[in-house]
Amino acid sequence: MATPDPDKLMAKADKLTKLSFTRWTADWKNATSLYEQAAIGYRFRKDNEKAKEAFEKASKGQEMISSPWDAAKHMESAAALAKELGHWNEVSDFYRRASELYRECGRSQPASDALAKGASALEDVVPDEAVRLYMDACVILEEDGREQMAFDLYRAATSVYVKLERYADAATFLLRWGIAADKCHAVNSQCKAYLSAIIIYLYMHDFQQAQKCYNDCSQIGAFLSSDQSRCASKLFSAYEEGDVEEIKRVAQSSPITQLDHVIIRLARKLPTGDLKELNKEEAEEEVLDENDLT
Amino acid sequence: DNLCPLNRLLLPPSPLAKAISIASNRSRQQADQAERGYREEKRKTISKMSVIDILTRVDAICKKYDKYDVDKLNASNVSADDAFARLYASIESDIDSAVQKAERACQEKNRAAVVALNAEIRRTKARLSEEIPKLQRLALKKVKGLSKEELAIRNDLVLALPDRIQSIPDGSTNGAKQTGSWTSASHMEIRFDSNSDGMFESEYFQQTEESSQFRQEYEMRKMKQDQGLDIISEGLDTLKNMAHDMNEELDRQVPLIDEIDSKVDKATSDLKNTNVRLKDTINQLSSSRNFCIDIILLCIILGIAAYLYKNEMQRKAVPGFVLHLIAFAFLGHKIFYGVTLLLLTAFIIVYAI
Repeated sequence: MATPDPDKLMAKADKLTKLSFTRWTADWKNATSLYEQAAIGYRFRKDNEKAKEAFEKASKGQEMISSPWDAAKHMESAAALAKELGHWNEVSDFYRRASELYRECGRSQPASDALAKGASALEDVVPDEAVRLYMDACVILEEDGREQMAFDLYRAATSVYVKLERYADAATFLLRWGIAADKCHAVNSQCKAYLSAIIIYLYMHDFQQAQKCYNDCSQIGAFLSSDQSRCASKLFSAYEEGDVEEIKRVAQSSPITQLDHVIIRLARKLPTGDLKELNKEEAEEEVLDENDLT
Repeated sequence: DNLCPLNRLLLPPSPLAKAISIASNRSRQQADQAERGYREEKRKTISKMSVIDILTRVDAICKKYDKYDVDKLNASNVSADDAFARLYASIESDIDSAVQKAERACQEKNRAAVVALNAEIRRTKARLSEEIPKLQRLALKKVKGLSKEELAIRNDLVLALPDRIQSIPDGSTNGAKQTGSWTSASHMEIRFDSNSDGMFESEYFQQTEESSQFRQEYEMRKMKQDQGLDIISEGLDTLKNMAHDMNEELDRQVPLIDEIDSKVDKATSDLKNTNVRLKDTINQLSSSRNFCIDIILLCIILGIAAYLYKNEMQRKAVPGFVLHLIAFAFLGHKIFYGVTLLLLTAFIIVYAI
């Protein structure tokens, strides 16, 4: 079969779908197949703009003939082409639409995969949108009870936050990761997530927050008896003593080297700021407390 | 004597009981005398007495006379008799406390505490060993109120003491084979715990050249072992982390594989169904037996048609022929047979006519 000109295919397909006097119902079935062929032809010719449009229309056609799976697939292709073209808002729109279509099929994994692909496409350009996409992807998986699959998403989202230097958000996200890990009894990942959160707080030089985090996490039995909590307590004691060498040594120790590389980089940079300040702050707080009591 | 079995009770462990037994021994002797007196009194009245009766009476009498004994004990502090008993009692108590310390040392986890306890035990043992000759002298002294057997018993007790003292475990002995030499104890067993370290601090250790060299070598080897163990522990940490990650990954894949399993089962059953139906269809279409029948029938049809054509019954033959060709085109056997029969009957009718 000779590959006919995609333009001609497109024109034909458009004619099929346009309602006019002679045509009372649009023939979506044929139109869809024509659109698909046109889209493949355009892609082969590296005409991304037209290919993208063709995929969009093909997807719409698939929707009309009520096969959301194929529609979603075409949407994803369209989104990939939009990414090449650099139309970022279109990228996110298309991926979201594809994800919705997958959810219509009742398949949560491809839905979240679509969002994850969108997020990774937008990571460098529109990181806020990327983070939102990651979060939505995690939510989809958690609703379906498949938190195990979400670990990679959590990791990627955390690294985006750290790149954006929104450390508080990163730490919160890590704690959410801990919750997800808890639900599927992944103790090792849970402890690692908590240790990472503590390290991020220490990197932010927010000792109180880190202490509070550690105390909260120690309520969880699995964390309390784990290597990671021991490492965290060693870190805290090193901080309280103000011993920089000790902090560096703990940062090189094995529980920390098992974490994600982004966190390891932060840990290597500890301690940030002046340790004596921390002790002064604590002393001041104690004085205030005494005044309050008396 | 019926009272001999009581003598065997003279070696109970507790000092108090010993003191009481010694006291009661003496009181029994007094009771003996009392009994003899009593017997003489009762000689005429009672001819036979059972052992149990005697024992009970002796006990009663002892109880009666015990208070006098206690008074005697308290009254005379200077008598050598009491000195022996006192010294013996004190030595007994020391031995018991040493044994208790030894037991605690066995259970103690803190090495420093073990070392301290062992040193204390050793000092106690040395002191007690010094006091034994004194006790022996006291034991040999003849004291009034003591019988010969009493003396013998005391001698035996004193002789038994050194063994008992030596057998107290103090962390450096190997059991009963102590000859009393100090330095040999450190070479008894090669122990790499701090008990041998403890030996070095006590006053019993004579540092020879070999032993200090040995100690240095031991320290170096210990350091190397520690380094090696550190490396091993790091490796184990990594392994543990990897194993945990693998565990979680496998947990993640279990539901996926279950899904795959069920989907593949469904696909297999669909395939089986389709295969069976396809087999039936193909059998119907192209079995060799049916093919032969097809050819035979075809020949018959052609023959009939030719015959009809020859008989110039064209108008009736041609539609029949065309019909037959159509039937053959469908290749449905029932139709085929049906039409063949139909034509045969038509032919027969025509022929009949």
